[in-house]
Amino acid sequence: MVAKVAVAEKEHKMSGTIEQPRFTCALGSCQSVVAIKKGVPILHSGPGCGGQISRLIGQGEGYAGGSTAPCTNAEEADVVFGGEKKLRSVIENSFKVIDGDIYVVLTGCTAAITGDDIAAVTGEFQEEDKPIVYVEEGGFRSNNYASHERLVNAIIDQYVDKFKYSDEKEEGLVNVFASIPYQDPYWSGNLEGIKKVLTDIGLKVNILFGNESDGVEEWKRIPNAQFNIVIGPWVGVKIAKHLKVKYGQPFLQFPYLPIGAIETSRFLRSVAEFGHLDEIRVENYIKKEEAKYYAHIEKMADFMLEFRYGIPRRVYTIADSSYALGFSKFLLNELGIIPGPQYIVDDIPEKYQDRVKEEFDNISILQKRTVEVVFDPDAGKNQLRLEEDAKNYEDKRILILGSSWDKNLADKLHADLLIISVPVQHRLIMNCGYTGYEGGLRAIEDIYDRVLATYR
Amino acid sequence: MRQIAIYGKGGIGKSTTTQNLTAGLAELGKNVMVVGCDPKADSTRLLLNGLAQKTVLDTLREEGEVDDLDLIMKRGFGGIRCVESGGPEPGVGCAGRGIITSIGMLEDLGAYTDDLDYVFYDVLGDVVCGGFAMPIREGKAKEIYIVASGEMMALYAANNICKGIQKYAKQGGVRLGGIICNSRNVDREHDLLNAFAKELGSQLIYFVPRDNEVQRAEINRKTVIDHNPEHPQAREYRHLAEAIENNTQFVIPKPMTQERLEEILIEFGLMENLKDNYVI
Repeated sequence: MVAKVAVAEKEHKMSGTIEQPRFTCALGSCQSVVAIKKGVPILHSGPGCGGQISRLIGQGEGYAGGSTAPCTNAEEADVVFGGEKKLRSVIENSFKVIDGDIYVVLTGCTAAITGDDIAAVTGEFQEEDKPIVYVEEGGFRSNNYASHERLVNAIIDQYVDKFKYSDEKEEGLVNVFASIPYQDPYWSGNLEGIKKVLTDIGLKVNILFGNESDGVEEWKRIPNAQFNIVIGPWVGVKIAKHLKVKYGQPFLQFPYLPIGAIETSRFLRSVAEFGHLDEIRVENYIKKEEAKYYAHIEKMADFMLEFRYGIPRRVYTIADSSYALGFSKFLLNELGIIPGPQYIVDDIPEKYQDRVKEEFDNISILQKRTVEVVFDPDAGKNQLRLEEDAKNYEDKRILILGSSWDKNLADKLHADLLIISVPVQHRLIMNCGYTGYEGGLRAIEDIYDRVLATYR
Repeated sequence: MRQIAIYGKGGIGKSTTTQNLTAGLAELGKNVMVVGCDPKADSTRLLLNGLAQKTVLDTLREEGEVDDLDLIMKRGFGGIRCVESGGPEPGVGCAGRGIITSIGMLEDLGAYTDDLDYVFYDVLGDVVCGGFAMPIREGKAKEIYIVASGEMMALYAANNICKGIQKYAKQGGVRLGGIICNSRNVDREHDLLNAFAKELGSQLIYFVPRDNEVQRAEINRKTVIDHNPEHPQAREYRHLAEAIENNTQFVIPKPMTQERLEEILIEFGLMENLKDNYVI
């Protein structure tokens, strides 16, 4: 009851303010630059901005991120007199001391309000054929989901396009726009997982970010792709639409992360159909991978059956829409765990919410099932909702798929917590990912790992 | 210490009026400081007999910091302390923030000494953003005078400035002390300004007639009082100074709607005259 009142009060008083946003401001797209091989973000912002961002979304510095990122450290004098001179010198010196393949100038709030002419300053270097791009952000412009799209489009328009040599498309080459680096804490592994399955069915994949990408050289091949694949319910759509107009590339949207065999096979079949791929080859691959995948599960069948009362009765998700959908489908259809309320915190625009809702309404491959979905970027409120709901399941085991910010709540409820969302402070992530067949197995391992660790 | 901000439409004669008025106050034996809050930095030219002043922001730009009051404050006519806030180059940076920065700096450097009777802020045209409202925020100027004339746009701007004053009056103690008419020899100007000021709930504190002696003094980089102390126009400015010195009417203005403003203009025949002027 107390929690309910608190929620009501919050709704009344706190409109316009949110607690625990699990995303960041527009400047957050600097993390996407860090995820490009030898990508260097140049921040034209106050000294705290980059630090805040990399602490919230991001583990480690990457090549030139975190505290390594060049920054104008804009201060009062740069506001009053404009910060263009300082920016010019920071860019010049960045070229001298950091060996990068692509440099991206991103503006923070102050420079954007003051109206520094970033395009002109960056333009001077672009005229010298330096690999540099600017994105006029201003943290206030949007969240980092939207700015990630603007960043990718800016790199394409200001840099990649210069290297386009023909209108011809390369057979079997695709661009993939899936996880947002660092906003998805498992982005590196997830992108690797997606690239692996797509490559295995015969495609050449521009995955663009992370280890499995060929860096800037790969970006330069974007215009040659035959088609584009967007994974997720909304982020990436603007990039794909832009490329459709710019290079005439059609795109396929798969609205969530494919986790485990059922969804990965579904994903591959939809790609194969869209791209008119060799059906036999694709089916043979799926058959082979599913056989491997289910052999692992079969091996554990006795344990899983015996342990069925040990697994959580109630599973809550506080996560981005793409994750929430991907995990829910996986849990229900692969593990038989019925998903509980879904608190979607990625500030997904209203026009995309119906599509997500629809996916949740058709979540079961066997029967009609509905899942409670709450779209609210206020994770603080969502925690109150969760706590209130959990009172009905006091004698049951609970699993929360959330972030490090949910640890206290999980401890309080004696619930198990699997961290799938930012911020991540209780887990070190190298190349762990949940996409694909192998990712599904990893997800099973991790869920059981959490549950077994506290089982008595 | 009375802190006074002078506002008004661009080109209406704020700086000229402020300097001539403060020259009058100096003659009355008052200790005065004039703070120019216009990036053009021409608010103290007549008091200093030229653009002799290095602005706060130029000093900040060149030195990185300002640690000596003497670098940015000069004594002019009658011992008036003159400071120019200055601003960025046209088209870059944020002039509004510049005003905030330089007023903050004056405070830090101890420019506001107890012996001052008056501090005048000569602010650019309009309260365009938070920076230009700085002089009328809490703890700064408590009195505002708006320089206007019988021209429509001058009154329109004056009315708009009153909206800004009204906002800050609710939070702090800022009040409108009156309208100063810097005459443009418009028909029935005196009556119009009187009616306009009354409608705002304020007063026409002084009507400064138009006289070319002002321009002659300006060419010589002087106030009228300095250039030609015996001239009738010098007397006018002395009277203005006395009116300010003796003013007791401070109000929260009641800005009017555009419709009401136009009604007043029509009432005083200004609209008809305008129409006549546009006869082809």
